[in-house]
Amino acid sequence: MKYAFYPGCVSKGGCPELYPSAVRVAAKLGIELEEMKDVACTGAGVLPQYISDPINARTFAKAERMGLPIMTICSTCQGVFGQANLRLQDAEYRARINREYLAEEGLEYKGTTEIKHLLWVVMEDYGADKLKAMVSKPLKGLKVSPFYGCFLRRPPEVVTPTKESNARKTYLEKLIDIVGAELTDISGKGKCCGFPVLTANEESSLGMTAKHTGEAKSKGADCMVTPCPLCHLSLDGNQPRAEQQEGKSIGLPILHMPQFLGLALGFSPAEMYLKRHIVSTMAVESKVNMMT
Amino acid sequence: MQAKFSVYRKEPGAHSKPGRSTYTVELADDATVMDALLKIRDEQDPTLGFRGSCLHGYCGDCTVRVNGKAAFSCTARVAPLAAKGGEIAVEPIRNMPVVKDLISDWDAFLWEKIDSTKPWMEPKDADGAAEPQIDDKLMARVRQAMSCNYCGLCDEGCTVLPVDFKFVGPAALTKASRFLFDPRDQATAERLRILERPKGMWDCVHCFEASEHCPREIAPTERIVEMRDEAFKRGITNEKVARHHLSFAASVKRSGWLDEGRLAIESEGLTNVSGLMKLLPTAAKAIARGKAPIPYLHPKRPGADRIARIIEKAEAKEK
Ligand code: SF4
Ligand code: SF4
Ligand code: SF4
Repeated sequence: MKYAFYPGCVSKGGCPELYPSAVRVAAKLGIELEEMKDVACTGAGVLPQYISDPINARTFAKAERMGLPIMTICSTCQGVFGQANLRLQDAEYRARINREYLAEEGLEYKGTTEIKHLLWVVMEDYGADKLKAMVSKPLKGLKVSPFYGCFLRRPPEVVTPTKESNARKTYLEKLIDIVGAELTDISGKGKCCGFPVLTANEESSLGMTAKHTGEAKSKGADCMVTPCPLCHLSLDGNQPRAEQQEGKSIGLPILHMPQFLGLALGFSPAEMYLKRHIVSTMAVESKVNMMT
Repeated sequence: MQAKFSVYRKEPGAHSKPGRSTYTVELADDATVMDALLKIRDEQDPTLGFRGSCLHGYCGDCTVRVNGKAAFSCTARVAPLAAKGGEIAVEPIRNMPVVKDLISDWDAFLWEKIDSTKPWMEPKDADGAAEPQIDDKLMARVRQAMSCNYCGLCDEGCTVLPVDFKFVGPAALTKASRFLFDPRDQATAERLRILERPKGMWDCVHCFEASEHCPREIAPTERIVEMRDEAFKRGITNEKVARHHLSFAASVKRSGWLDEGRLAIESEGLTNVSGLMKLLPTAAKAIARGKAPIPYLHPKRPGADRIARIIEKAEAKEK
C-alpha cells in the first residue's frame, strides 16, 4: 500500500501535532507514504474555483505521474480536491486546463488520480479486520464523540457516489468501535464546526464551536475525535473563546483522528503530541495511561 | 388504515408554552399527512392550525417535519409511517419562529430576507426597444435558480441559521443568484455590495447542507460559491473578508502554501489593535505549546514559482 501523501498546510502550520502523528500511524500500519512537496495549497474553498481548479489539476497530474493515489489528512483538503477532481472528469474542461495551465510545465492530467482521506484509506484499503488486529491498547471505557467535518460527508456526488461509499458516513463510529472505545453520539457530528465564518461572523463561528463541544460534554464524552484539522482549530483552538462568549465552561479535549488511532496502536500520548493542544488532554491521558 | 399522530401545538404569542396533541384517525390506504391533518381539523379539532396551498407537492407551503424529517405534508404518505407502529410526529420545520401550531412565520424566515436582496431586474436595455437575444448557455444556471419554489427546505437544513437567525440564508441567496447572473441585468456591482453586507453571503460556511436539503436539485451551496467567486473576481467589498481572501491568495502565490499565522494577523487588519489583541491569549498559549506557526517565517515550497505563474494566469484570464 503506497500513497502520494498530501499533508496540507494546517498539519504543518496551525496543527503541527497532526503531521508527525499521521506519519507515525501510517508507518506502524505499514502504509507507505511518498510526500508531495512541490505542490500547492488546495485553496481550501477560499480561493475561487478559477484559481484552485488549475493548481489542483497540477497536483493530480503529479500524482498521476507518480502512479499513486493521493492520501489526505484533512476533510477540507479532501473535499476541495474531490470537488475539483469531479469537475475535471469533464474531458473538455480538463483539456482546457491542461492546455492553458499545465502544458507549459510539460504536465497533463488524464483524470485518473484517486484521492482518499486517511480515514477512508484505513477503513477501505487497509480494512477494518486488519486494523482491529493491530490494536494493541484497546481504549476501553473512553467515551468519544465523532466529528467529521463537512467535506467528509457532503456533497454526496463527491463523498458517497456509490452505494458502498455510503458507509463513509459512519466510519468514525466504526473506528471508535474498532479501537474499543465507547461512542457518545452527538447531533452535530456531520455539521460545520464554524471555522469557515471565523472572519465574516465570529459570533456565529464560536456559537457553533460551543454547540458541538457543549453537547458532547453534556452527554458525558471524554473527548471528541475529528479527521479535519480546521475543525480541530475551531473546536480545540477556539474553545476557550467560545466558552467566554457563551458564558459556560466546556473543557472538552479534541483529538485528531490519527492521534486517536495512534493511542490504540500503542503510541504514548507524548508520541502523539497531545501536549500541543489548547484544551488540556490530561483527562484523556490519565484514562489511557490507566488502561492496560 | 388507522394511524396515530402526535402533533406539535402552540398558541400565538411569545409566552405561550408549546405542547402536543394526539389524534387517532381512520384513513384510506393511500392517504397523505395532509389528508390526515384535514381530517383531524374537520372531525376532531377545529383549532388545529396548519398551512397548505397547491396540495400537489409544488408550492412548498405545507412543509412540516414528519418523524423528524422535513417533508411536504401533501405528498408524504401515511402508510409506511403507520406500518412502523407508534405515533407519527408532526412538527413545524426548524429555524423558523412559530406563529401557531404548524404555521410558521414565513415573513421573518424567508420573504423579508428575499426582499433584502433586491429581487428584481434592472434591465440593461431599459426602454425595452429590442428584445434581448441571449445565449442559452448563459441562461442555464439562471433557469436552475428560477426553478426554486420557496419551500424553505434549504433554510430548514442550514447550519448557520440555528446559531444566527439574522443570516440571510440559502433560499434568499439562491434568489439573489438568479438576478446576479442574469445576462440582461445591469446591477451586478450593487447586488454584490448588498450580498457582501454582514449576515450576507460571506456568513455561509459552504457546508453543502443546503444542497443536500433542496428537493429540486438547485444546489444552493454551489450558487453561493459562484457568487463569492464573482465577488473575488470583481474585488471583494466586505473589508474583513477581502483582507482574509487577499492575504490567503498572496500567501499561496508567494510560497505555494498558506502562512496561517500571517493570515490570522492580516485578516484582523494590521492597524486593528483591538482585533489583534483578541488573538493574543490563544496565540500565546499556542506558541507556548509549540503549536503556532511563527508568522512571516514561512519557507517557499519547491514549485512555488510554477504555482504563482498559474495563479497569475488565472487571474489575468478572469479579470
Ligand atoms: S466542519 Fe467546517 S472546517 Fe471542517 S470541513 Fe466543514 S466547513 Fe470545513
Ligand atoms: S451552505 Fe451555507 S447557506 Fe447552505 S446550509 Fe450551509 S451555511 Fe447554510
Ligand atoms: S433552493 Fe431548493 S430548498 Fe431552497 S427554497 Fe428553493 S427549492 Fe426549496
